[in-house]
Amino acid sequence: MQSTLAINLARIAIIVAILALWEVLSRTGIVNPRLLPSASDTFVTLGDLLQRASVQKDLMVTATEVLAAFALAVPFGALIGFLVAENRYFADVAKPLLFFAFSIPKSIFLPMFILVFGVGFAQKVGFGFFSTIFIVIMSTTTAVESVKVEHLTVARSYGATPWQTAFRVYLPSMLPVLLEALRISMIFNLTGVILAEMYASRDGIGHQIATWGENFQMKQLLAGVVMVAAIAMTFNELVRWVETRCSHWRT
Amino acid sequence: MQPLANVTPLKPAARAGAIEVKNVGQVFRGRSQDVVALDDVSLEIKPGRFVVLVGPSGCGKSTLLMMMAGLRQQTSGTITISGAPIPQPDPDRVGVVFQEASLFPWLTAEDNVEFPLALRGVPKAERRAKAQDALKLVGLDGFGKRHPHELSGGMKQRVSIARGLVQDPPVLLMDEPFAALDEQTRMTMGDELLRIWAATGKTVVFVTHSLTEAVYLADEVIVMSARPGRIVDHLQVQLPRPRTYEMLSGDAFGALRDRIWRHIRKSA
Amino acid sequence: MSAKTLRYSIVIGLIALWELLPRIGLIPELFLPSLSSTLLAGWTDAPEYGHALAVTLYEVVVSMAFACGGGILLGAIVGSLPRPRVLIMPMVSSLYAVPLVILYPVFTVWLGIGSESKIAFASIYGFLPTMLATAAGIQTIDPQLLLAARSMGATLSQRLVRVIIPAAIPTVLSGLRVGGALVIVGVVVSEMLISSAGIGYLISRYRTILDSPHVFAGVLLVLFLAIAFNAAIRWIERKAAIWQTGTRAGQANDEVASGAMQPAT
Repeated sequence: MQSTLAINLARIAIIVAILALWEVLSRTGIVNPRLLPSASDTFVTLGDLLQRASVQKDLMVTATEVLAAFALAVPFGALIGFLVAENRYFADVAKPLLFFAFSIPKSIFLPMFILVFGVGFAQKVGFGFFSTIFIVIMSTTTAVESVKVEHLTVARSYGATPWQTAFRVYLPSMLPVLLEALRISMIFNLTGVILAEMYASRDGIGHQIATWGENFQMKQLLAGVVMVAAIAMTFNELVRWVETRCSHWRT
Repeated sequence: MQPLANVTPLKPAARAGAIEVKNVGQVFRGRSQDVVALDDVSLEIKPGRFVVLVGPSGCGKSTLLMMMAGLRQQTSGTITISGAPIPQPDPDRVGVVFQEASLFPWLTAEDNVEFPLALRGVPKAERRAKAQDALKLVGLDGFGKRHPHELSGGMKQRVSIARGLVQDPPVLLMDEPFAALDEQTRMTMGDELLRIWAATGKTVVFVTHSLTEAVYLADEVIVMSARPGRIVDHLQVQLPRPRTYEMLSGDAFGALRDRIWRHIRKSA
Repeated sequence: MSAKTLRYSIVIGLIALWELLPRIGLIPELFLPSLSSTLLAGWTDAPEYGHALAVTLYEVVVSMAFACGGGILLGAIVGSLPRPRVLIMPMVSSLYAVPLVILYPVFTVWLGIGSESKIAFASIYGFLPTMLATAAGIQTIDPQLLLAARSMGATLSQRLVRVIIPAAIPTVLSGLRVGGALVIVGVVVSEMLISSAGIGYLISRYRTILDSPHVFAGVLLVLFLAIAFNAAIRWIERKAAIWQTGTRAGQANDEVASGAMQPAT
């Protein structure tokens, strides 16, 4: 088995190779450079974009929407998820409905959000909320159910109050699962908000990317794609890193 | 019948079913150090004997069995079955039964038993007949069309045994085949196995943790020490056959079991 | 009241509300057209919807061939070989965090607004999760089965054809389900964004003229498509349930896992 260093070097090599290929295809004209600006051009444009006030504003708008939707979806979803996990009756009623809701594509409801909220902040946050809440519910339920009954019994036999049980058994036990749930929920959230922005919006980075596409501004479009991808992946890896730090005791 | 590409041709004059292990060692190369699993193990098993390998966890008995099956190569020494070495699995010479029955869940019982024959391209009618015979031998006549998930643990192991016997090899290797069964099923299966052995006259090498099982089933018990695995005792079980439940509480039985236990305790 | 009864009551109640609330004016028809007007709109313009459905279906089928075919094949290969798996899988699952919709405008520039760009986008959209799910599923195949096969003298190709492939069928079906559902989402979303045909396009067009009944009719049609596909695959999976005992996959976990694999948009 190769060491992790060797593996990471190999991965970096793969990425470098892809970038090199990109650069070569564009610069030599094998692919029309107007359709595929070279990698170097794209990254230069990216640096340029990040300094533009309008782009910064768009990023702020998107970030605000994402956070707002998250702040709404997580408490509601967690509460429902907790109820489903703890109450047998509630679970029997709700679970099949939730599975059903899960299996249908939610993006088709986007036009409805526009019909109701018009085009604006509320519509995007609303759709983000809608996209996220179901996965939050499911993840919370799984997380709560994952707390071993044995641990709870031990706590109870030592006379732990519900409050103590919540903080000393549920929370540490669920922490890794919760972090994972938050990470995945954020992915759904971001996807929902960006989709809403691309579909019908006046601002936000999703809207800007769609506009660049409509105007055939390939350099900015690709730069924007790389930018959003990088931000998303960085955040993802960060949370994953925190997850592994918290999970070392998990089997 | 097409021969498998990896079959070693038998020496015709060799004693079919004899097993010879000479100075066998097994070393696993670790990241920081080497692990000696087996250290200079030698033994000779005559055809038709029922031999049990017993020892503490990690003593290498399963490793030794895997090497006899051709699933693993020893780092030193030689192993011959029926006079020829066994670098690769050879179902003509050796049938293997594992702890997990490892039946293919998408095949019926009889399809599972036929599997080794199907690999060789044996025609359907012949496969079917041989599989039926094997199932009858293990007492599962009529259960051929069932799928594994419709069979109990004991029945699954019987199918596994039937599969090991379908090509009529002179040697049957069994790696803790009853370990996953509950105690009562274990006892029944033990008697069943002895019945099948008496009817077929195969050489059986049986690995187990259970001292009781070892003495009850065996002609000879080979006791191995903890890592590095060595043979610390080789005793003959002179109890009459067929073995009965009453023997378990007899003095002779107890004495044999104590002897094994003392060796294991010393070496663990 | 039993849970089941309550659930049915809730569903029926919701459907009743759907019909009544707009009718009595509690909710404007713009926000929620009554069930009857939705169905009527779909019925009167059935040919238009039918044609749109045909376009969407075509795009879905072709995309599925790419996404599921490629995803399952590559997932199987990467999942079975330890070196490529360790190397590539973490990178692929990092990509999963990216909202792939942002790629769609690139495809419209390259391939135009017709079916090609939708197929390209939906194929990629469905490919990654299918590959991840298949690679994960391949690893759950009981290695003891391969050991048993080896002990019976099976050659490598025999092990592949007679053990790995049959044991992988639940994984493959699961991959089809995940990939197919995502492809449907990908196609409809791209049709909604920039298109000239298809159900997504129809929905968007009616939205811009604020024709709610027709919008909802279109949405219902997509829902029906998604549900029908899901039900069909689950039916096949149930038929193949014997195979389930060859892997460690549990039904309940499967639900959450497949849900988590599915971006909700």
